[in-house]
Amino acid sequence: MNELSKTFDVIVVGAGHAGCEAALAAARLGCKTLVLATNLDTVAFLACNPSIGGTAKGQIVKEIDALGGEMAINADKSLLQMRMLNRGKGPAVFSPRAQVDKNAYHVNMKRTLENTPDLYLRQGEATAVNVLADGTFAVATAVDLTYFSKAVVLCCGVYLNSKTLIGQCVRESGPNGFANARFLTESLRKLGFAVQRFKTGTPARVRLNSLDLAKTVEQLGESDVAPFSYKTESIPATKRSCYLTYSTEETKRIITENKQLAPIYNGSIQGVGPRYCPSIEDKIIRFADKERHQIFLEPESEDTCEFYVQGASSSMPANIQEQIYRSIEGLENVEIMRDAYAIEYDCIDATMLDATLMAKHIPGLFCAGQICGTSGYEEAAGQGIVAGINAERFVHGKSPFTLRRDNSYIGVLIDDITTKENTEPYRMMTSRAEHRLVLRQDNADLRLTELGRQIGLVDDVRYAKFLRKKQQIALAEKDFKTVVSPKTYGPLFEKKNEAVSGAGLTVDEMLRRTNINCKDLQQLGFFAEIDDDALYEVEINCKYRGYIEKEQEAIEQANKLENKYLPDDLDYLSIDGLRIEARQKLNKIRPQNLGQASRILGVSPADIQILIVYLSQRKKN
Amino acid sequence: MNNTIVALSTARGRAAIAVVRMSGDSAIDIAKKFFEPFPTQPNMLKVGTLHTQYFDEHAMCVYFVAPHSYTGENTVEFHCHGGTAVAQAVIEQCLKCGAVMAQNGEFSKRAFINGKQNLTNAEGIIEMIDAETASAAKAGANLLENKLGKMIVSLQNNLLDIVSACEVALDYPEEDLELPTVKSAQNDLNNISQKLSELISTATLGKIAKYGIDVAIVGKPNVGKSSLLNALLGCDRAIVSDIQGTTRDTLCESVNYRDIRFNFIDTAGLRNAADAIEAEGVARARRAADNADVVLHVTDDPTDRSVYPTIRPQVRIYNKSDLFDSEPCCVDSLVVSAKYGDVEVIKQTLYEMFSANEIETSDLLITNERHLDCLKRAKAQLQQAIADCQNTTLDIVTNSIKKAWAILGEITGTCAQEDIIDRIYSKFCLGK
Repeated sequence: MNELSKTFDVIVVGAGHAGCEAALAAARLGCKTLVLATNLDTVAFLACNPSIGGTAKGQIVKEIDALGGEMAINADKSLLQMRMLNRGKGPAVFSPRAQVDKNAYHVNMKRTLENTPDLYLRQGEATAVNVLADGTFAVATAVDLTYFSKAVVLCCGVYLNSKTLIGQCVRESGPNGFANARFLTESLRKLGFAVQRFKTGTPARVRLNSLDLAKTVEQLGESDVAPFSYKTESIPATKRSCYLTYSTEETKRIITENKQLAPIYNGSIQGVGPRYCPSIEDKIIRFADKERHQIFLEPESEDTCEFYVQGASSSMPANIQEQIYRSIEGLENVEIMRDAYAIEYDCIDATMLDATLMAKHIPGLFCAGQICGTSGYEEAAGQGIVAGINAERFVHGKSPFTLRRDNSYIGVLIDDITTKENTEPYRMMTSRAEHRLVLRQDNADLRLTELGRQIGLVDDVRYAKFLRKKQQIALAEKDFKTVVSPKTYGPLFEKKNEAVSGAGLTVDEMLRRTNINCKDLQQLGFFAEIDDDALYEVEINCKYRGYIEKEQEAIEQANKLENKYLPDDLDYLSIDGLRIEARQKLNKIRPQNLGQASRILGVSPADIQILIVYLSQRKKN
Repeated sequence: MNNTIVALSTARGRAAIAVVRMSGDSAIDIAKKFFEPFPTQPNMLKVGTLHTQYFDEHAMCVYFVAPHSYTGENTVEFHCHGGTAVAQAVIEQCLKCGAVMAQNGEFSKRAFINGKQNLTNAEGIIEMIDAETASAAKAGANLLENKLGKMIVSLQNNLLDIVSACEVALDYPEEDLELPTVKSAQNDLNNISQKLSELISTATLGKIAKYGIDVAIVGKPNVGKSSLLNALLGCDRAIVSDIQGTTRDTLCESVNYRDIRFNFIDTAGLRNAADAIEAEGVARARRAADNADVVLHVTDDPTDRSVYPTIRPQVRIYNKSDLFDSEPCCVDSLVVSAKYGDVEVIKQTLYEMFSANEIETSDLLITNERHLDCLKRAKAQLQQAIADCQNTTLDIVTNSIKKAWAILGEITGTCAQEDIIDRIYSKFCLGK
């Protein structure tokens, strides 16, 4: 290879869920892109649960899809079963969740990367990122090969100086025994990044044949859930079942008696773990009065009989793990195939990044995924696509692309992590999205496809589907004003337990009735030839109109601050009237607008007022 | 559409004039509802009458049309007589007609947001906001020390429990948690709403403690209303004569009784007026009665059983008892002789009627307009949430409860999203 063959537009370090989206976005937008991974068998590796989606995460997957990303398509290709969570709790929180085949997921994604023009997949451990005099980058590897690029996206996942722990057995290792990255953290420190240490964990994998499934509750997929991707025509019925079971009093006893052996309780773990994903020992000790805990058994792949024991991650010694697992109903004779372990890793303080996920102090250097202190495949992939898009835009001198709190969960996620210092791994939740009523899984395409098209990631097939849906919605809503006589709607209303008045009702008025849906009105001859997904949209918009309109007003109010940009050269430290803490926080985070400034922890509403007045005074002078 | 905010723009306390300012899309429409004659053109200070529910105020009014105002929005200013009571009443009137209380510094914020740069002295404004913040912080600290603050914090806490339980149900559908059914949430919400109502109801006493009780004296001509006023005041304030229609305009005077201020309003005698001026006097009498806390319906005929038509509470007064031959026909009335000054029974009765003695014993009175406004909005929002429990899904219900919680947070200053997340993790055992 000559030096030229080692020169790229973009280098993506890491081929996990963030790395894959970043690399695909950059390459598809015309950047010559190198993906460096410590091991090519880790491409899109599902290191924890064999599942994609869930509350808030399912929404993110749909958003990635609408922007022209890969995660949704890959999950559909690798599907074992699909469910819609939160049915009955309202459309704002409907969340698709899939069990996927872990092996197929890796193979399918790797194949997609391999088949993407301009994308180069290379095994190698990045050891240093150096900024050259002209602002471009040199990425050194452990085998003394150096690669050059105009932009770098770091998607190192949990591999930075990672350590896995099983009781007293501590290994310098990445997940699942994969090699970790031993040198890159030091390089990041030299580049001026603040580094912190987080931890997470994963449960054991157990042998299906050793389970007494009669003691569990089988969970099938649901056949009426739409695919993740708007491009996927259909998905298969349930290929593999999940099983639900419970921990017992015995589980409690074993853990309580062996508490001192858990690294998290005897001080051998320093990293901060997520409260939302506690180990089984953590659950039992912190919530001592709860009698039993739910355990889900999930298939890892069609190729194997390994099952994932959701809800029972642990870092106890292996012999104690055996006792714990055997105390679970239906697992009395369980054969563990892989031990549960905790993993500690380095990550950066993401408040050093801007909303494009570029380091504020190093133009052209982006970070995405768990390196930014988040957890979860979907969170990682959502950041990956945004970082990849922006790396391309940086290379080609285009304006930055950012998402907003009012148009996507990804926007909420990136704003949160770049605005508030994380003290634990960040997981997306619907409750973090103040406008979740308008950020639904069903309208992700309506929210983001146009943006994806402008960026250049939305192909003609996807765009045509999007235009058709929009057109169908408009067509359906044309029927709204039509008045229907009681004679026509009476029988339907009686059947549906709706009060019939003597007066005529418009289609809109009928649809607003609790028990009447679009399908019912199709029987009366309305909405003929309208696709189901468009009808669903029409129905939500009609039934929840009042609430949605209120939300839109709230968004408009909030946007008055969001749209006030803060100049880059503000010297916060010298602004009289601001409290010292606020000055320091503002100076550190350097928010892009007043809305973001108001969300910084330690900046009070009074500080914002003072900032506003200061700005107007400054403008005047 | 921008909501319309209102606040006192001049310093609180005693001063020659007080300026109340309103800014927002509807500011002018709102002002037109109670100021007449409304200025015919912008930027001109015009004198007129400002109707509040307690009294009519001779005031001046000026309006500015967007973007030619301090905030860049439609703005109206009322220049009224100084003193807290007048300004509070004017603000209350604005709130009643659709404005909302401004947050500290919100006028300046809007001025900035609307790209207005004509801040004559930004330094001064920073200082002012600074001072305002300091006093707000102090007020906040005081609030947190007293029972009211603690009560609001505890209500907010109850709401936070409900919100976090709902959020867990939404974010962790697979979890095997004993989640509150919407029904139990509904009970809790009703309890909290009830407590809010109790707090809101203390505002009546709070208002009495602050402004006193407004008492309108009405009745036919020559029944001795003005004599009664003079007797109640203990001085010759109103002109008294045998000529019908001597009192033409309303006349308000205050007197203290057991630490409570009574604002007695003498009015023109009610009859078909002889001329336009008297007609206006009668109209004002009726308006005074409608706006008072209580109406004294005075008669000098012991056989009179008539009732004054008002929704306000009323007390019938048989005046001139020194001239009566027989006992008055209605027993639940007061019998006095203004001429001989035996009117203490009226004050005593009113005092008891308004449970004014509770003011001394109560340490939980809402006296701050902004707090009352927050409580009322929070209650309305909770009512919405309770209705939502019946009609719609948990995602919507949760949003409604969250909003109520955030409104209470405007009083206590705590409504960060992080609080919900923390509560979720500290109270529920969750894991994937």
